[in-house]
Amino acid sequence: MSDKKQHAAQSHEEHLREKHLMLDPLPRGKMNDMVMESMLEKPTWKFWVIFGFLAFVVVYFLFYKWGVLIAKGQGEAGVMRPDYWGIFLVNTVFWIGISHAGTFISAILRVFRAEFRRPFTRAAELMTTFGLVQAGFSIFMHMGRVWLAYWLMPYPNQRLLWPNLHSPLTWDLLAITTYLLSSTMYLFLPLIPDVAMARDRSTGWRKNLYKVLSLGFRGTEGEWTHLRNAMNIFAWAIIPVMFSVHTIVSWDFAAATRPGWSSTIFGPYFIVGALHSGMGAAAVVLAVIRSTMKNMKYFVRGEHFDAIGKLMLIISMSWAYFFFNDYMVQWYGGDKWTQQLLHFHEAGPMGWMWFAMLICNVAIPWAILWNPKWRATPWAITIVGLVINVGMWFERYIIIPISVTINRMPFTWRLYEPGIEVPMGIGTVALFILLYMAASKLIPLIPVWEVQEGQMAHELKKFGRETVVSVSELE
Amino acid sequence: MSNKFSRRDFLKLAGVGAATTAILTGCGPASRYVKREPYMLMPEYTYNGQSTYYATTCRECAAGCGLIVRTSQGRAIKTEGNANNPLNLGKTCARGQATLQGLYNPDRVTDPAKAGASITWDAATQAVVDALKNHKPDEIAFLMGTTSDHLFDLVTDLAAATGINAPVRFGALSMFESRATLSTAAENLFGQRGLPFFDVGGAQVVFSFGANFLETWLSPVSYTRGFAGLREAQTKMRGTFVQFESRMSATGGKADEWMPIRPGTEAMVVLAIGKLVAEKRGGTMPHAFIEVDPANVAAKSGIKLETLEQLAEKFASSAGALAIPGGAALGQSNGLTVAEAVLALNALVDNFGKPGGVYFSALAPNQTEYQRAASVQEMQGFIQKMAEGKFKVLFIHGVNPVFELPASLGFKEALSGVGQVISFATFPDETAQEADYVLPDHHSLESWGYQRVVTGSAQPVLSGSQPVVSPFYNTRATADVLIAAAQLAGGKFAQALPFTDEVEFLQSKVAPLMNSADGFFSAADINTFMAYFQQYGGWWKTLDGRAVPVAANLLNHSLSGAEAEFAGEGEFFFVPFVSPTLAEAGANKPWLQELPDPTTTVMWNTWVEINPETAHELGLEDDDVVKIISEAGELEVPVYRYPAIRPDTIAMPFGQGHTAYSRYADNRGVNPADLLGQYFNEAGDLAFAGMKVKIEKTGKKQPLSRMESIMGVYGVGLGEEH
Amino acid sequence: MIRPEEIKMSAEETGKWGMVIDQDICTGCQACVAACAMENNISFVGEVDAGYGRSMHWIRIERFWEGAYPEVKMTPNQPMLCQQCGHATCEPVCPAFATVHSQAEQLNLQVYNRCVGTRYCANNCPYQVRAFNWRDYQRPEPLSNQLNPDVTVRRMGVMEKCTFCIQRIHKAQDKAKSEGREVVDGEFTTACAQACPANAIVFGRVDDPESLVSQVARAHGHGVKHLEELGTLPNVTYFKGG
Repeated sequence: MSDKKQHAAQSHEEHLREKHLMLDPLPRGKMNDMVMESMLEKPTWKFWVIFGFLAFVVVYFLFYKWGVLIAKGQGEAGVMRPDYWGIFLVNTVFWIGISHAGTFISAILRVFRAEFRRPFTRAAELMTTFGLVQAGFSIFMHMGRVWLAYWLMPYPNQRLLWPNLHSPLTWDLLAITTYLLSSTMYLFLPLIPDVAMARDRSTGWRKNLYKVLSLGFRGTEGEWTHLRNAMNIFAWAIIPVMFSVHTIVSWDFAAATRPGWSSTIFGPYFIVGALHSGMGAAAVVLAVIRSTMKNMKYFVRGEHFDAIGKLMLIISMSWAYFFFNDYMVQWYGGDKWTQQLLHFHEAGPMGWMWFAMLICNVAIPWAILWNPKWRATPWAITIVGLVINVGMWFERYIIIPISVTINRMPFTWRLYEPGIEVPMGIGTVALFILLYMAASKLIPLIPVWEVQEGQMAHELKKFGRETVVSVSELE
Repeated sequence: MSNKFSRRDFLKLAGVGAATTAILTGCGPASRYVKREPYMLMPEYTYNGQSTYYATTCRECAAGCGLIVRTSQGRAIKTEGNANNPLNLGKTCARGQATLQGLYNPDRVTDPAKAGASITWDAATQAVVDALKNHKPDEIAFLMGTTSDHLFDLVTDLAAATGINAPVRFGALSMFESRATLSTAAENLFGQRGLPFFDVGGAQVVFSFGANFLETWLSPVSYTRGFAGLREAQTKMRGTFVQFESRMSATGGKADEWMPIRPGTEAMVVLAIGKLVAEKRGGTMPHAFIEVDPANVAAKSGIKLETLEQLAEKFASSAGALAIPGGAALGQSNGLTVAEAVLALNALVDNFGKPGGVYFSALAPNQTEYQRAASVQEMQGFIQKMAEGKFKVLFIHGVNPVFELPASLGFKEALSGVGQVISFATFPDETAQEADYVLPDHHSLESWGYQRVVTGSAQPVLSGSQPVVSPFYNTRATADVLIAAAQLAGGKFAQALPFTDEVEFLQSKVAPLMNSADGFFSAADINTFMAYFQQYGGWWKTLDGRAVPVAANLLNHSLSGAEAEFAGEGEFFFVPFVSPTLAEAGANKPWLQELPDPTTTVMWNTWVEINPETAHELGLEDDDVVKIISEAGELEVPVYRYPAIRPDTIAMPFGQGHTAYSRYADNRGVNPADLLGQYFNEAGDLAFAGMKVKIEKTGKKQPLSRMESIMGVYGVGLGEEH
Repeated sequence: MIRPEEIKMSAEETGKWGMVIDQDICTGCQACVAACAMENNISFVGEVDAGYGRSMHWIRIERFWEGAYPEVKMTPNQPMLCQQCGHATCEPVCPAFATVHSQAEQLNLQVYNRCVGTRYCANNCPYQVRAFNWRDYQRPEPLSNQLNPDVTVRRMGVMEKCTFCIQRIHKAQDKAKSEGREVVDGEFTTACAQACPANAIVFGRVDDPESLVSQVARAHGHGVKHLEELGTLPNVTYFKGG
């Protein structure tokens, strides 16, 4: 009897350990070795095939086609009157959206001490930086004379010409630049202890690389204090930056004089939309890391997918709220052009996309994510994540090229037919994945110190027969 | 002061000097050409950075509008209307604006050629000499276009003195304007030859029966000014304009009321309105209107009787009522009857010679009687002679009959019956391709000459041309070639053209005007006169030269209200119309190609207009390619669902469908003249709107380039209707 | 170093240029469109691009349909060009100051060599009258001989639009200045107004009550400014008539 009970208690404890990374500690050395192993594992031929293929896609679709675009002009793309803005801007907004979740997961969850964040902050932060690279590329692709892009920078010059601070695009440029710089710093700071760890365990060029990157970090108490302070400051500071970036991106549209765009709700609507796609992307990245890299099943568990799934569900609901709100406000406004536009969204030739957007962003996430079992299933979450990203891409496509089809001059209405944007957009996706693949071989994708820190703080205590999880306050 | 005299001050002063020189340069009586950049020796009347302006005449159509061409450093850079010219008063149409794109067209004929191989001008001139000397006079024929009146005069003089065939003139525009019909109707009713002039500007109510007078008809700039006068509300009531036609033209689009009458019923509609007007005005019913039964007309034409009565009321009660015949209404088997009926309607309201009424167009200053281009029936006779081998030499200038004449007349085939074809084409057009020799004439802006204003101006006007740029290529003025050849040929030829060059001939032609008392200017010697002639862009009288038709017997003329007859089996009336932007010769100018058609906004192509209901019944969508089949031929052309055309009618623009007319025109669109058979009206004009055609689907699609949005204008593709 | 406050806009020539367009007499003949293209070195783009909304026209004539056959009517032709807004929506959105308001002429300027091609201005123009150089459109020799030396030739990647023929305004002002007088009304006009055979377009100083354009506006009375409700203060007035 007691045996049985003891057995049950034991299995409960085991169950908890199996489920929660924080309760399943491994010796430091072992964990470090696991991470090093996953990073240093000799790439398989599959890795190289995919890597080579993506590299080809990047070189041909992104860079070669970009060369064509620059040489021959924007006429290679599908833009025209009235769709002066097309997929390049869709991709810009999309990638900025993706980059959002990285910081959100890392900074907000860090600030609020959400413990489940620990193993995947690094992967998420990388998403921010890599996503912003694609966003930057996409916006430069869009420019008619990209070779003069530096004119948008406020640099002192003989002619006293400064960028126009009235223009939302100038705000945008400043916001994105700030975000890129701060998120890169924010990626780098938590990386230092892990790089130092890697430095101590590697040889050859890697050792030199990590030596430089780790800035001589040795893990003394003083160093940790400084690092923690710096991370704290950045975690707090980057949150408003993140909010401002996507709000400002939304102002590119909301500040314009166009039916369907002049909407005061666009700021939060865009932020939630960005988080929506970003969370979806984070789930996909996590699932890919878990299934393709060695030792990752230990670090990335069902509980993480479950937690991300819950977030996705909440964000999906918020998105639905803002979508509905935006729609209602625009509809209630009664402007005839806006009415025409809303009708065009649903019933026009691209109406399928409008419905697909709602299905992808609302119907499918809600149908799947309410179930804890499905939430904890990596492949299910991966599919939902992909679907959400398709839906959010559709959302941006509807907001940009489809909405600008309808303006106040019906004589000019015309439907957008993408051209070179499509391969170039695929090129940005390939580059995004390529950067991840390279990163997986160059830096520890799991912040080992953060996991270890969490594990040190977590403990399974027994109060009588009950096994209770206790978390001690660090610092 | 002097030490502060800066470069800028100097430039300012230089500017003052330049600005105060005469705006219009006559370029000096002795100078034949201006030089193009670079200047080795700068002519004294040009300044760097300052433009020089030359007055000349537009030759994009035969109307003869005056142009002022702005040149800079020897390049022509902009054409504007000549504000002095009484015909166009400083205005131009789109084709006049784009004339530079012909001058600078990259595909002009650059050198004289024999069978495609370049030859020297000496050899070319010798070829003309041989052609003139080695043939009997009646074996030599000239076919000329409707522009370059001075050249026509030169050839006429040559023909008169040497016995060769008098030159025949033709142009697609005159074919679609049915000029022979208009003048024959005038001759029949007034006993006087001439082209009627309709004073739209002075009228209060204008009924137009098919006349596309705001597009290409007769003198579009002048008629457009008239239309603006009709609508001008400042000084009088805003005039009313009613258009009767089966397919809404750009002119019809401006009408207050558009009456889509059944093709072929125009004559009876005019007569019925005449009868109702006569009833309302009281008095004896004129003979012309007695037979017609308005109720019957209403049933046949598709206009309600009450509408006819309202229209008649409007026409009868107005102080300035005017009716105009034109367009497809004349291009039918009873076109002459339509023209006569319309003139009778004008006679009924007694507007002859009154403001807002009908006049005879003023004869140009150096003209004694009305001349017109050949009707298509006359061309048929000409082609017959060609085919029979009666002509051993054919000179062709200023016209492209292979393209402009309906293919069914067989001009191209008949060319093989002519021993030698010598073309003076500026562009390598379809006719030039068939020619044995191509001896390229200058572009009109490189040319001397004059054009008689046939209609559109109250004053008699002779619009003068002068070169505004020196010739771009190794081209030579046809007049110079003929004069040189005549001199070389010697004998009667040399006597017929006793001139050293074209300018001397020109001076001989305008010299009689020199001392006219009623001229806009006069001069004591020819050099001064020519300088003024060039500076002002021509010579015109200061007084109204229009004659008043005598309407004495007109209303007793018996007119038949029978329906027109249509050739062919098909179920659709076929209405070809001249493209308002391209007209007969605009297709080689890229900017004219890129101008949206005023009614359909289509650019760069040909379309067929089909009523949307009809298209729906036939299962046709926009851009579906259909095959149009007539007795004479068939064409494939994309559909434009046109809301303002009768369901039983289809329409196509004329102007495209070239195979050799520069890179901008080649293999673009189709030529509706290919569908036209050899049917004529009573005056010998082509019954171009007298065919019935069939439509067949092809299953192909060809997107038309439209300026308009199909979504925004037609609501297509916006989702189901609100 | 020059300080910004030392830079002065030329205040010598001030004027509010404007246009009235009488749609009742506009016949849609396209003479203005052709004249504009000839005067301002506008590229033609060819059939495919023209059909895909990439034509470079600075002025276009809009027409719609009312009713259905047989009661169908063409709406009055509406020439649509840059309205030279007093409070333009295109200006604030350009990040590079490539489209700015001119104090001297009260016009909306496009600075070609400052344009980087974000196309925000065109997007934000409620009249949709801006044309973008989607490609380097070719003018095969010798078509380039026709280029107007007073007007910049634009290349790929640059936005352009109607300028109210500012080169003509400046030429007339320079001439008047050199002769020590004011510009006389009617001394010059825009290419479109000059060509228009119906005289449907009248151009001039709208701040001068005696100018022809002001007189025409007064005579018609009920002019319409398009999309005035957006607060753009357009400088083109339309008369629908009919």
